[in-house]
Amino acid sequence: MSAASSKSSGTPSNKGFRFGKWRPGQQNEAYLFLLPSLIGFAFFVLIPIIGAFALSFFDWNLISPAKFVGVDNYKQLLFQDAVFRKVLGNTFYYAVTIVPLQLILGLVMAVALNQGIRGLELYRLIYFMPVITNIVAVAIVFQWLLNRDFGVANAWVWQLADATGWHIAPPDWLNSSFWAKPAVIILTLWKNIGFTMVIYLAALQGVPESLYDAAKVDGATGSQRFRFVTIPMVSATTFFLVVIQMIGAFQLFAEPFVMTRGGPAQASLTIVMYIYQNAFEFGRMGKATALAWILFAIIFIFTLIQTRLQRRWVHYETGD
Amino acid sequence: MKRWSLVAALVFSFVFSFSFAQKTVTWAMWGSPEEIVTHQKVADAFMASHPDINVEIWSQPWGDYFTKIQTLWAAGDASVIPDVMFLSPVVNYAADGVLENLDPYIAASNYPTNDYWPGLLDYGMYDGHVYGFPRDIGLEVLYYNKDIFDEVGVSYPDDTWTWDDLTAAAEKLTDVSSSGRVNRYALGMEGGKYQLWVGQNKGSILDDMRNPSHCTLADPAAMGAITFFANMMNKNYAIRDANLGQAGGDAAVFQSGQAAMIIQNASRISAFNAADMNYDVAVVPIPADGQRSASAAGAAWTMSSFSDDKDSAWTFLSWLQSTDGGQAIYTASGEILPALKSTAESPAFMAASDTPANRMAFIIEGDNAKVGRAGFFPEWNELSGSIISPALQSIWSGEASPEDVLPKLCTDVDAFLSQNGYPK
Repeated sequence: MSAASSKSSGTPSNKGFRFGKWRPGQQNEAYLFLLPSLIGFAFFVLIPIIGAFALSFFDWNLISPAKFVGVDNYKQLLFQDAVFRKVLGNTFYYAVTIVPLQLILGLVMAVALNQGIRGLELYRLIYFMPVITNIVAVAIVFQWLLNRDFGVANAWVWQLADATGWHIAPPDWLNSSFWAKPAVIILTLWKNIGFTMVIYLAALQGVPESLYDAAKVDGATGSQRFRFVTIPMVSATTFFLVVIQMIGAFQLFAEPFVMTRGGPAQASLTIVMYIYQNAFEFGRMGKATALAWILFAIIFIFTLIQTRLQRRWVHYETGD
Repeated sequence: MKRWSLVAALVFSFVFSFSFAQKTVTWAMWGSPEEIVTHQKVADAFMASHPDINVEIWSQPWGDYFTKIQTLWAAGDASVIPDVMFLSPVVNYAADGVLENLDPYIAASNYPTNDYWPGLLDYGMYDGHVYGFPRDIGLEVLYYNKDIFDEVGVSYPDDTWTWDDLTAAAEKLTDVSSSGRVNRYALGMEGGKYQLWVGQNKGSILDDMRNPSHCTLADPAAMGAITFFANMMNKNYAIRDANLGQAGGDAAVFQSGQAAMIIQNASRISAFNAADMNYDVAVVPIPADGQRSASAAGAAWTMSSFSDDKDSAWTFLSWLQSTDGGQAIYTASGEILPALKSTAESPAFMAASDTPANRMAFIIEGDNAKVGRAGFFPEWNELSGSIISPALQSIWSGEASPEDVLPKLCTDVDAFLSQNGYPK
C-alpha cells in the first residue's frame, strides 16, 4: 500500500475497508492511478470514436478536404445501398449460425473432456491450438483444402465418383454463392471452438459434485443430469459466451477477407469488410464511419436484448 | 584564445556544411524485399552519375503503402512527404491536387514522351496533363507449356491464332475425369482480365473511360466477348476465377501443370525460368475480325506537389524513365516489360534470357496497346469493386448467364454514374 493512501485513510490497517464505499479525499488518488490507462483510452479509443462519429456526416477520401453532407451517408446506406442490404444479410447469416454452433460444439467438447480422461492437458492443447494460430495462414490452408478439383476435402468424393461411375460432385466451395458462407463458417468454427471449450471446461469444473450426487439420489438419468444440472449451472458462462461471440460474429472480417475476398459476387462479404472497402479501397471515409456506427447500433441493440433476456434463463447460484 | 577558435570552427563548419549540402530526393515505392533490392540498385546507379543528389528510399509492403502515404498527405507535412512516388491509379491522386503537373518539365527538357507505348501515357494523365510516367506496361501474352502441347499433339500457338483456334486447342488440352473432376484445365486466366477479350472484340466497358455517360457492357461486342470467356469456363476449358485464386493463382497452376496455358504479363518470366519450365509465349488469340487489344496501363512514378526541391525530383524522375537510366536496370531484373519502346527493343529486354524465345510477342502486343481496362476517374475503384466485379463474378462462377447479368449490370452502372454526376 502506498504511503499516500495510508496517510489519507488514517490507518494502515485494512480493517473496516469495504468495497464500493468512497472515502472522502480518496477519489483523486484513484483517478491518478487510473490516469495512464485513461489517457491511452482517451487518445486511442474515445477521441477516435467521437472523430468517427463526426466524420460520418462528411464526404472525405483522406486526401482532399472533407465536405459536409449531413445525414446523406446514413440515408444512402439505409435506403439506397443494395450492397449494404446484402452484407447485412450475410452478417446475420454468419451470426445466427456461428454463435449457436460454437456454443453447442464447445460445450459438447468440454463435457467430453471433463470425464477425467487420461491426457486431458494434451487434448486441451490440441483443441486450443487453432485459437492461437495465425488466421491468414489457416485461411490459405483452408483455401487449398477446399479447391474444387485439386483440394483434399473434395478428393475422396471425386475418387469415389471415379471408381463407381456415380455422378456425385462435391461442393464447389469457394466458387459457389451458396457454399462460400458455409466454408467461412467451417473455418471460423475450427478456429474458435477451442476458446469456447476452454471457458466451458472451467465452468464445468466449478459445478459441485454434490448437485450431481443429489440428482442421482433423486433418480435422474445422465441426460437429465446434463439438462437440469449442467446446463443451468453453466448458464452464466453461456451468457458471457453468447454476448462476446455475437459481437465477434458481427465483426467477422479476417476469415472471409483472406479466404473468399467476400466473393463470389459479394456472397460472403461482411459489414466490416464493406467498411474496410469503403474506407481504404473506394475512398469513402464518411460512408465507412457511418457504417461503423450502424454496426455499433446493431450490436448494442442485440446485446441489450441479451441482457434483458438473461433474467429468464441465467442462474447465478454458486451451489454452496 | 580558446573560445574564439571554437566559435570560428563552428561558423566555419556551418558555412561548409551548407555550401556542400547534398540535395535529397525521397523516393517512395511498395515492394517485396527482393524488389527493394532492385530499387536500391537503381538509386545507387543514379547517385553514382549525379553525386550532388542523394536519393533516399521510403518503402512499404503493398498492403500498407497507400494508407500510409495517404496519412502523410492528410498530415500535410512537406518535410516527410516523399518527392517521387510510385502510384496507381494516378488519376485518383492527381484529382486531389497532391501531384505535380509534369507538362512544364517535359517541355523544358524535351523529354521524349513519344517513346512510350501507344496509350500508355494516358494512364499517367489527368485533365489533359501528364502527372506520372508509367514504369512498365502490364500487358498480357499467352504463356503455353510446350510439354503438354507435345503430349496432347497440339501445334504451338502463333500470331495467326483466332478464338476458334484457341477453343479447338482448349478442347484437346483439357483433361476431365468421367466424374467431372478436371485434372487439367487448358487455360488459367484471372476473371479481372476479361476486358482483354472485350477490347479484342471491339467492345468496351464504358462509352468513355475518362468521362463516361453510360455502360456499354451489354452491347453485342462486349456481350459476345464475355460470353466467349464464360463458355470457356462452362466447358471446363478455363479454370473458374474463384478456383484459380484458391489454387494459388495462374502462375501456380501453370507451374504445376494444372493449366496448359495462362494469360498473364511479363512478371512471371523469372519464376518460370527459375523453375526450369519448358514454355514459350505467343500473342493472345483474337476474334476472326477482331483486333489486338493489350491493356496500356502500369503503375507510375509521380512527383509530389509538396516537394521542396522539384528540380532535383525532376532530374531523378526523368533519369528513372530513360533507357540509359532506370528503365534498363528494371528491365534487366527480368520482371517487367518496360514502358519505353526503345528499352523494350534493346538487348536489355530482348536478350534478357533464352526463354521465352518469342519475346516479339510482347512487342507486337505493345505496339497495339489500348486504353480501356480501367476508368480514368476517381470513382472507378468503387464502381468496379462494388458493382461491376461482383456482377461479373456471378458469370465467372457459372451461376448466371451474360444475357441475364449484363443488362441489369449496365442499369446499375448508369445509375452510379448519374449519382456521381457523370458525364461531367
